[in-house]
Amino acid sequence: MDDAADLESFRRTLREFALSHCPPEIRAVVAANRKLGRKEWSAWQRILHARGWGAPSWPKAHGGTGWDLRHRHAFDEVMAECDCPPQYHHGLRHIGPVLIEFGTPEQQAHFLPGILNGEDWWCQGYSEPGAGSDLASLKTRAERDGEEYVVTGQKLWTSHAHESDWMYTLVRTSSAGKRQEGITMLLIPLRSPGITVRPVPTIDGWHHVNEVFLDGVRVPAANRIGEEGKGWTYGKFLLDRERLGGANVAPAFRFLDRARALVAAELQGPQNRLKREMLAMRLLQIEAELRGARELGLAAIDDVMNGRPLGIAPSVLKLSTSEAMQRTSQVALDAVGHRLATRFRPVDASGPNAEVGEIEWLQNYLYLRAKTIFGGSSEVQKNVIARQLFGT
Amino acid sequence: MAYAPKPLLPGDAFEAALRFGLALEQDLAHRQDPPDRAACLARHWRDLLELGWAGTLLPEAAGGAGGAIADLVALADGAGRSAMPLPVAAACGVVPMLLRAVPDAAMQAAVATGRMRPCPVLEPGAVTARMEGEGWLLEGSLLGLELVPEPTHYLLACPIAAAEPGLFLLPADAPGLAVTRHLRIDGRLSADLALHSPARLLARGAAVREAVAAARDLGAFLTCVEAVSAMGALIEQTIAYLSARVQFGTALASFQALRHRVAEMHVAAENTRGLVAQLLRAAGTAPALPWREVSFAKLRLGEAGRFVAEAAIQMHGGMGVTEALPASRLARRIMLAEFEYGDRNWHAARLLEAA
Repeated sequence: MDDAADLESFRRTLREFALSHCPPEIRAVVAANRKLGRKEWSAWQRILHARGWGAPSWPKAHGGTGWDLRHRHAFDEVMAECDCPPQYHHGLRHIGPVLIEFGTPEQQAHFLPGILNGEDWWCQGYSEPGAGSDLASLKTRAERDGEEYVVTGQKLWTSHAHESDWMYTLVRTSSAGKRQEGITMLLIPLRSPGITVRPVPTIDGWHHVNEVFLDGVRVPAANRIGEEGKGWTYGKFLLDRERLGGANVAPAFRFLDRARALVAAELQGPQNRLKREMLAMRLLQIEAELRGARELGLAAIDDVMNGRPLGIAPSVLKLSTSEAMQRTSQVALDAVGHRLATRFRPVDASGPNAEVGEIEWLQNYLYLRAKTIFGGSSEVQKNVIARQLFGT
Repeated sequence: MAYAPKPLLPGDAFEAALRFGLALEQDLAHRQDPPDRAACLARHWRDLLELGWAGTLLPEAAGGAGGAIADLVALADGAGRSAMPLPVAAACGVVPMLLRAVPDAAMQAAVATGRMRPCPVLEPGAVTARMEGEGWLLEGSLLGLELVPEPTHYLLACPIAAAEPGLFLLPADAPGLAVTRHLRIDGRLSADLALHSPARLLARGAAVREAVAAARDLGAFLTCVEAVSAMGALIEQTIAYLSARVQFGTALASFQALRHRVAEMHVAAENTRGLVAQLLRAAGTAPALPWREVSFAKLRLGEAGRFVAEAAIQMHGGMGVTEALPASRLARRIMLAEFEYGDRNWHAARLLEAA
């Protein structure tokens, strides 16, 4: 069988499984653009794990599928097309590969199974009040005390900390030398004494992010990844592995489909024709850009598979797709915003209209503002692109 | 290492077209007078026909090269780097597509060798056709037609009944035909036609409808290829200018506002290039270009192209608005590409109507 036919039959298998095994109530959450939580994610992870697809990006020796990049991409795409949740990334895509590459056999045996079966939940302790885009300026201190580190400081924008068991954390173990050289990666149980997690309310009304205070938290030295002072390397490895995440534009296409359906449903009849068509035109322009991005994503996958350098393609992709999703949410907002933005937080708990339907469109619009801020802001991406283009 | 645009299909055809375009650019550089420029374009056009470009897509049996669309793409890509002001898409792509409706090997052979140089007309403007006696009469006018230099004929699609298209052949020296020529903003030749002329009906009905649709889609695709190529050259020249130009004691290339704008130009150009690459793949596997993808590419080009063109002019400062600057010619080529083979609104309407 040739490559294309093989991939097509692989996609069929994936689709059949997704539609028959992903619980309808979970797919309904995705289809309505509602916020996913640990409950949905871990249920879905259990199902995928039982099928042997728990870790599409891991090697077989560690319980992964051993799929190549093209098959992984097909998996992500088909799952998105079927309204299955994207797999929770902090364990599978972030710390998992770091453990596989740099962890001790004991660490691997201890941590990888819980990630695979969805029982352990991870979050990322990187950003701090004074260290956002400039991550190397982080200040959370870890001091060695016998077989333990004592960690004190504050992390910020810690997504999912409120529903996590573990936080892989970059801490400062030395202030000497280059800023990047004094950083160490520790795996910290969030139930440790001295940890306080406080939600940071965000404009979308969802609970994603937190501040995490660490006050003399004792962490076994056995929970250190690799060597002391090499944390920056491991963190960078993790980010490099994630650079092709933007190649999966399937969720953006699904989001566009839903916005198109919203416009058609909301603006029916001849009296709405002009507005409906103006919004349809904008969606078309977004679709054109997404189609271009999808092709660039495929080209990037091809580059990686053939050993060619990726260059700035990930930055180009991230800029296009993040802004296209924002623009999609703007169109949706223009369709329904007048009746949602005016009724964001209920004052009266009961009454004929106490439940505001479709409020997710407004929440998504607000949530998506962050899409051009996290994971390397648009401005940082443009710096990266310009440095390459100008050669300086 | 600073940026250099990549060819879609590297190879001899691309390089040859690139050199051809640069030679024409040099020849045109010191000619300001429009008639002088028009004569210069005609000379180079004759050279291009000698090289057999017009026969790229025509069958070998008719003296053509029997090539694929990809062969033409490589030429358009090379020509696009210098915004070569010659009608490659119209003469080498659109004409062979229209001739598919005309089973006439002698005519194909004449086109392949350059003896016959038909100027294609896909939109008849205000021209109408009616029977007069045994033959057909074309009447009316047509503005801003992209002109093939020294055309021998016009190959004109025009309705002959309510829902029936016809394809006419009108000799360039036909009685009752008046031609007024202009130079377009991208330096190419155009013509306004006023006619009250007899013409030969070559084909009619479904065959013409299909040929015209295929011709328009190929024309739009090749326009996108040229424009994406021109965008790459434009970004390269903008970077070179910003790197060389010193103000406030430092190279303009050190200013973040300008660097970010160049990054945005690159993202827009790459994105459009993605749509073109997708079409190029489809051209290699499907019998006809997929019209939806053509329309999405042209829609994207409309937005992204104008953004890149305007940004380049802005970043060249005063130099950007000078006629002679190569970058400003590239920018004007990209601006004009919007109006060839359906502008973005035409293509958006086609997509919306089919939805």
